Amino acid sequence: MSDTTIELSDVSKRYRLRRGWYVTSLKDEVGRLTARLLGRGVEPREEFWALRDITFSLKRGEVLGLIGMNGAGKSTLLKILSKVTVPTTGSFVTKGRLGSLIEIGAGFHPDLTGRDNIFLNGSIMGMSRREVQRKFDQIVAFAEVERFIDTPIKFYSSGMQMRLGFAVAAHTDPDILLIDEVLAVGDASFQAKCLNKLAELKEQDKTIVLVSHNLSNITEHARTVLWIDHGTIRMLGESDAVVDAYLEHVSADIKAEDSQHQARDRGGDRPISILDVALADAGAPPRNCFDREDTVHVDITYTASRPAPGAVFGVSIHDVHGYDLGGVVTDPGSVKVTAPVDQGVLRLTLSPLLFNKGVYTLDVYILDPATRRHYDLRRRALRLVVDGHRAASRGTTGYVYYPHQWERLK
Amino acid sequence: MRKTTVFLFQHWELISSFALRDIKARYKQTVLGVAWSLLQPLSMMIVFTLVFSLFAKVPSDGLPYPVFAYSALIFWTFFSNSISGGTGTMVSNATLIRKIYFPRETLLIAVLLAGLLDLGVASLLFVGMLFYYKISLSLAALWVVPLLILQVTLTFGVISLTSATHVNFRDMGHGLPLVVQLWMFATPVAYPISVIPAWLRPFYLLNPMAAIIDGYRRALILGAAPDLLAMGVSVAITAIIVGIALPVFKRAARTFADVI
Repeated sequence: MSDTTIELSDVSKRYRLRRGWYVTSLKDEVGRLTARLLGRGVEPREEFWALRDITFSLKRGEVLGLIGMNGAGKSTLLKILSKVTVPTTGSFVTKGRLGSLIEIGAGFHPDLTGRDNIFLNGSIMGMSRREVQRKFDQIVAFAEVERFIDTPIKFYSSGMQMRLGFAVAAHTDPDILLIDEVLAVGDASFQAKCLNKLAELKEQDKTIVLVSHNLSNITEHARTVLWIDHGTIRMLGESDAVVDAYLEHVSADIKAEDSQHQARDRGGDRPISILDVALADAGAPPRNCFDREDTVHVDITYTASRPAPGAVFGVSIHDVHGYDLGGVVTDPGSVKVTAPVDQGVLRLTLSPLLFNKGVYTLDVYILDPATRRHYDLRRRALRLVVDGHRAASRGTTGYVYYPHQWERLK
Repeated sequence: MRKTTVFLFQHWELISSFALRDIKARYKQTVLGVAWSLLQPLSMMIVFTLVFSLFAKVPSDGLPYPVFAYSALIFWTFFSNSISGGTGTMVSNATLIRKIYFPRETLLIAVLLAGLLDLGVASLLFVGMLFYYKISLSLAALWVVPLLILQVTLTFGVISLTSATHVNFRDMGHGLPLVVQLWMFATPVAYPISVIPAWLRPFYLLNPMAAIIDGYRRALILGAAPDLLAMGVSVAITAIIVGIALPVFKRAARTFADVI
């Protein structure tokens, strides 16, 4: 089947920036109105186009990945797709029941029990009472809240509330499903459950729009990717091509940001501090984009005003959400700073680089191991983009690359 | 009318879910629970009886004043509570409106529905009072049904306008309680319509609630039909209000999520 389920043409969305967070007072409005009637000039309201001329369509069973920097317009687009708001101009058509895993559990009432909230949330999402009744046990089991189902949800932990919200939303049986970053929340076992549910929905020929900062999730699930930048379509096409272009753009952006970083002056009285952190490789200008299994050098330039013999140097690597993926530290006493140093350089070599395609950030720090106090800490000192033909190869999932081989023994 | 029925039918479950939520949540962690629906008109009746009947000697068309006042108060309480609840309902459901699409009208209808339940509870006492004062209902009491439909329609029109306005201008939340209070004194709740001078009456009846409240009293206590001319005016004004309110609300509701 190839019938179109979502069609947007030239969709734009304008927001008016008003004083006091979008809420005006009557006085304001009357003032503007009288000024206009008297023929006096009214200062124009500040406008902001969150989206400009967005055109695309999705067929039944297609999965679209939506990527872009923060503030690019992804959320606004989801709001339009979910009909929470209407476009300022342009036309927009959807066919079929719409489900969203955006801000799950928004319809919960804290004073009502889990049971009541399932029915309430179900009907807000367009399910009939009978339908909820039928799926009730499944929902409760999925959310793992059996014991607390008759407890007001204000006594639930935030994890339980979230699981219940996801469970209801995932059981609405929509034709079109909008998913915003929800796969990034919850503990590992619940995340696995969510990913399974997503795969199940894909099999059922649902149309899915998936927003995620986790690019490997995107390439894994979506064949087409839409990259939005400053409210316009930067690129729309086959997922690998778009994600590659996006990564390239992001790394170019980082270079500019890095140079700003380095210019920043850091004061304070500390025996030892970081002057500069740079990614370097064998030759040529510093870069921050590497292929998988490349050799990466991290040069840490430091200065010591007093001896700090015990100092430990460390680098930790994080995903875009700031989750710590692992790190390395020097052995205590291996780098002895026994005399003041004007400018020392310590090089860390990561070889081979065992990360899959994606964007990573590096924190660099110098620690006093006795007190666990940071002599200096540079959060997100560097961004490391992993991209290239090795990284592009399929057959890997998640962040970490395992050198591996498959063998047929029998 | 047909469209309304279809809408109600289609979204009945959502509406009743919202109403149920409002009712359940309202009386959670209260001791008196649903008795509060009774206490509000009851205490008003006691105060009115003391002030208007005992002290100020306001006439009550020959009826016992408590039942005279209470017959109007339960319906007025329904009206005023629906207005204050309905006006604020969009803003108090802001998180929902910002995140999820559903027909926004359902929130308004849910407020009315929850209010009807309160009215039902409050009217139990009214039945008791009828027994106490040995007033028997006549067939004219059936007039309550069209009157109630008219009142609900009028209230829906009013809260469509006020709730849409409240989203953009929070002044509504401050000004409206005052207006509703004044409105009560422009309606025959505490006094009979007969005390209004004849020359003023045509203007007085421009208040659509006047004929409605008077109508309830006639139907329930006097066993008479409402003043049909006055009711006709009330129907016409209600139609005008709803005719303006519905398109305004529909237009405004499209962008509630952006401004709420």
